Amino acid sequence: MYWIANGFLFRRVTSPFQKLDPRVKLAISIEFFILSLFASYVIAVGAVLIAILAVAAFARSLKRVGRTMVFSLLFAGIIFAINVFFGLGLLHALVYALRFLAIISSTSLFFVTTSPDELEHIMKWMRVPRDVVFAFVTAVRFIPVVMLDAFQIMDAQKSRGLELDKGNILVRVRNMIPVLIPLVVNSVIRSGELAEAMESRAYGAIPKPTSLYGMKLKWYDWTVMILSFLGFVIALYIYHSFRFPF
Amino acid sequence: MTLIEFKDVTFVHQTGVKALDGVTLAIDKGEMVGIVGENGAGKTTLVRHVNGLLKPLTGSVMVDGENTRAVSTAALARKVGIAFQNPDHQLFSDSVEKEITFALNNFGFEQPLIEQRVSWALEFFGLEEYRKSSPLILSGGEKKRLTLASILAWDPGVVILDEPTVGQDAIQKAKLAEITKNLKSTGKTVIIVSHDVEFLWSLQPRLVVMRQGRVAGDGPCAEVMLDREMLKTARVSQPQLVRLEERLHSRPERPFLDLSDAAAWITKEAQ
Repeated sequence: MYWIANGFLFRRVTSPFQKLDPRVKLAISIEFFILSLFASYVIAVGAVLIAILAVAAFARSLKRVGRTMVFSLLFAGIIFAINVFFGLGLLHALVYALRFLAIISSTSLFFVTTSPDELEHIMKWMRVPRDVVFAFVTAVRFIPVVMLDAFQIMDAQKSRGLELDKGNILVRVRNMIPVLIPLVVNSVIRSGELAEAMESRAYGAIPKPTSLYGMKLKWYDWTVMILSFLGFVIALYIYHSFRFPF
Repeated sequence: MTLIEFKDVTFVHQTGVKALDGVTLAIDKGEMVGIVGENGAGKTTLVRHVNGLLKPLTGSVMVDGENTRAVSTAALARKVGIAFQNPDHQLFSDSVEKEITFALNNFGFEQPLIEQRVSWALEFFGLEEYRKSSPLILSGGEKKRLTLASILAWDPGVVILDEPTVGQDAIQKAKLAEITKNLKSTGKTVIIVSHDVEFLWSLQPRLVVMRQGRVAGDGPCAEVMLDREMLKTARVSQPQLVRLEERLHSRPERPFLDLSDAAAWITKEAQ
């Protein structure tokens, strides 16, 4: 579970892709997202998926994106089964399942290569209200902390004889109560403490606070952005101009 | 009689950090063991192997003759009780009483025995007045006592205390020391993971010093705490009474065990 959940989290690695301006990474992810939505053939969706994985490999984040795909496989399987069940045909069902995987991977690609700081810059650049930015970025930053809390709570309860892996689905859900209550209580306490700490450090004192780092598009950002956009346009052209066998 | 045995245990966390590196350690039944070391030395990782929360990557951990690889945590928990550092990580019931019964229910204790054990635990830890109260309204010290009560209620043979003195005032620490001594006197094996060398010095356990996932020192507290060089490399400070003894021109035969011991010696010397 830890292994899968980690797939959604940012980790700094040395790669040219991670050095890109976050807006470029966002643009690439959005382009992949749109291509996934428009692709209506198995070959087309498969190509988008392979392209996403190739970019993830270039960004040295293939393993992490791969983990999110493992997590998404279950849901992709459900989507496939439902579509087959309602008589849409195997190929159509496969397109929907692959499309889901491609959408998740394109989103994951952005999140595993973009730090919470960069996320904050992007949201501010988009003129999202400061409180919303802070709440969102803090939530992202706290995911690993809450995960760690959850594992420690599970350990504590297992040490008191709680068996989380036994019984039917109802028993398992019920057994999660001793984990969820301390987790929620701790999170509420932590958020209260964080609010007090932020206010003690003058959060909200002026409407437009200054920033240590800014965003500036460099030549390689422009190059990647233009190339990716060209690729995006060509892919859309191919979608509309060619008929794939399946 | 050896109750817990680590044989060349190595463990690597999912983050890739090698937390234990060839640890070999034997703990006898009824022994009190203190484990010290800097942050990340592998202390907590070591004790989490005792009730099977973690399984060794290589080597083996035997508890009461059973290999922890082959037994579930729930089964080992019947023999090994761990009081975790942060009580807020385990308290969830709507009353103190129910918090204590949680593990007893999990282990399938019969109703009369549960009532008996709960009453004993509440009285022993001075929590009787909070029987029907929510654990969340308790103070930090009371929560800590409740976590201990909820463990001792099922009477495990091994009691592990992970950083028991964190957030505790002097009076609570003294109470905790008394409880720990009581546990040992009742024949329980007690393992204390702590940075608080003063607390450990007051208990005089066998002391295991961890450094970078290895055992750097092991022996009676009064001997290990004199090995200044070893402690320095493990980034563990000596207790104040040991430092006092070392700085005196005229020294006692052994380090002072407590303040009254020091006072008696100094008074005698002054005369």
